[in-house]
Amino acid sequence: MVQQLSNEFRDEILAIAHVGPTLSYCYQCGTCSGGCPSFRFTGKFNPRKIIEDVLLGFKEELLNDPVIWLCCVCHECLEHCPQGVLVSELLMKIREIASKIGNIPQNFRIEVETLYNTGQINPKNPAIDRRRVQMGLKEAPSAPVEDYKKIIEITGLIKYMPEKKEAE
Amino acid sequence: MEYAIFLGCNIPNRLPHIELAVRKILPEFDVELKDIDGFGCCPDPIGIQALSHEAWATIAARNIAVAEEQGLDILTLCMGCYESLKTINYEIKHDPKLKAMVNQNLSKIGKEIKGNIKVIGILELLYRDIGVDKISSKVIKPLSNLKVAAHYGCHALKPAYIIQFDDPSNPVSLDELINATGAKSMPYINKNLCCGTGISGIDEKSQLSMIREKFTQIIRTNLDCIVTLCPLCYIQLEMGQMLVNKTFGENIKIPVFHYAELLALAMGIEEKELGFKYHRVKVKPILEMLAI
Repeated sequence: MVQQLSNEFRDEILAIAHVGPTLSYCYQCGTCSGGCPSFRFTGKFNPRKIIEDVLLGFKEELLNDPVIWLCCVCHECLEHCPQGVLVSELLMKIREIASKIGNIPQNFRIEVETLYNTGQINPKNPAIDRRRVQMGLKEAPSAPVEDYKKIIEITGLIKYMPEKKEAE
Repeated sequence: MEYAIFLGCNIPNRLPHIELAVRKILPEFDVELKDIDGFGCCPDPIGIQALSHEAWATIAARNIAVAEEQGLDILTLCMGCYESLKTINYEIKHDPKLKAMVNQNLSKIGKEIKGNIKVIGILELLYRDIGVDKISSKVIKPLSNLKVAAHYGCHALKPAYIIQFDDPSNPVSLDELINATGAKSMPYINKNLCCGTGISGIDEKSQLSMIREKFTQIIRTNLDCIVTLCPLCYIQLEMGQMLVNKTFGENIKIPVFHYAELLALAMGIEEKELGFKYHRVKVKPILEMLAI
């Protein structure tokens, strides 16, 4: 299959404030992948290759590939890049663009739903609250759920909730 | 020193014994913890940030705005919260466009971020603001002979241009804090290796291989326990042992402590006053060894 290259994709990344312009300093040395714990243990996640894909414009292949979600966000690559490329932060931006076409792991969709419903990701629960009281702590605080719902709605995060099956 | 304490969700709702230890030790160093109403999820710097920087920034800014209304700096206990809140507090000061967008969103819930408070983490507070000397001076039961594997947690130190504390490649703060209790923080291979929490819900087997490698080196170096300050690392390194044992047929049992628990013991706080019975990997062998 002939691959479609997209210079627009590279330009879109380059235009991202603060993080984007660092992309152009990458000289493909692979220091990022060498120190990447995810590359070492998944054998699949290769930050150097992902940056190369952006530079060359392999937009469709990259944005549809679930491998982009295997970054641990440890920022080891960012600290060690000899060219000052903000690798892990660029990966974050690539994932944000991939989210728009539906390439999102299910656990993060569920996270959005929990955040919407409770204003927390690990919500308070009665068993732990009883344990807290036994320890002499106060019950865990509740989050201001209405504010969270509103922010999730106005920023569009709501569209990433788990996909519901069509009503019969 | 007075701070709005930002508990996050993992500590209060999964690991309250960590909160218990923190609340016992910090007042001994004249740190006043203010529990203020209105905080929610930080939110998660891995998932939520990747889906929408705008949503992540707005929610984090909302939490900062809540503390600003009280005129208090924020102290975070969780390194995930630390990364989210510290990054947004940094970004809104350096990116006026982002600040304007965030405030436009916040105006719809009657809030505004000004950018006039600090966000600090518990590691910074202990090491830089309280200091090793003051901590040593409160140690009445030194934890002699205890050999510790320090685990910093990535977000305690990185990205360095935002965190601006210690050296992410060769950190010393947690090691010195451990040594201040009379225990000895020892070098081991893969000390700076990530706990892998960011991929635990996506590629569990790889994540478990990651921590298995860490455990292997800790056992090889003959260390007694792991000490960390991050609740997410704590969960991976403690619960993770059970999953590693199940998945790979291992029999790993390395006790894991939050630093506040270790310090509490060294400060002479009774074991009964702390929540060791809620540890998944039993810490009794360590308590017996220390004759506590």
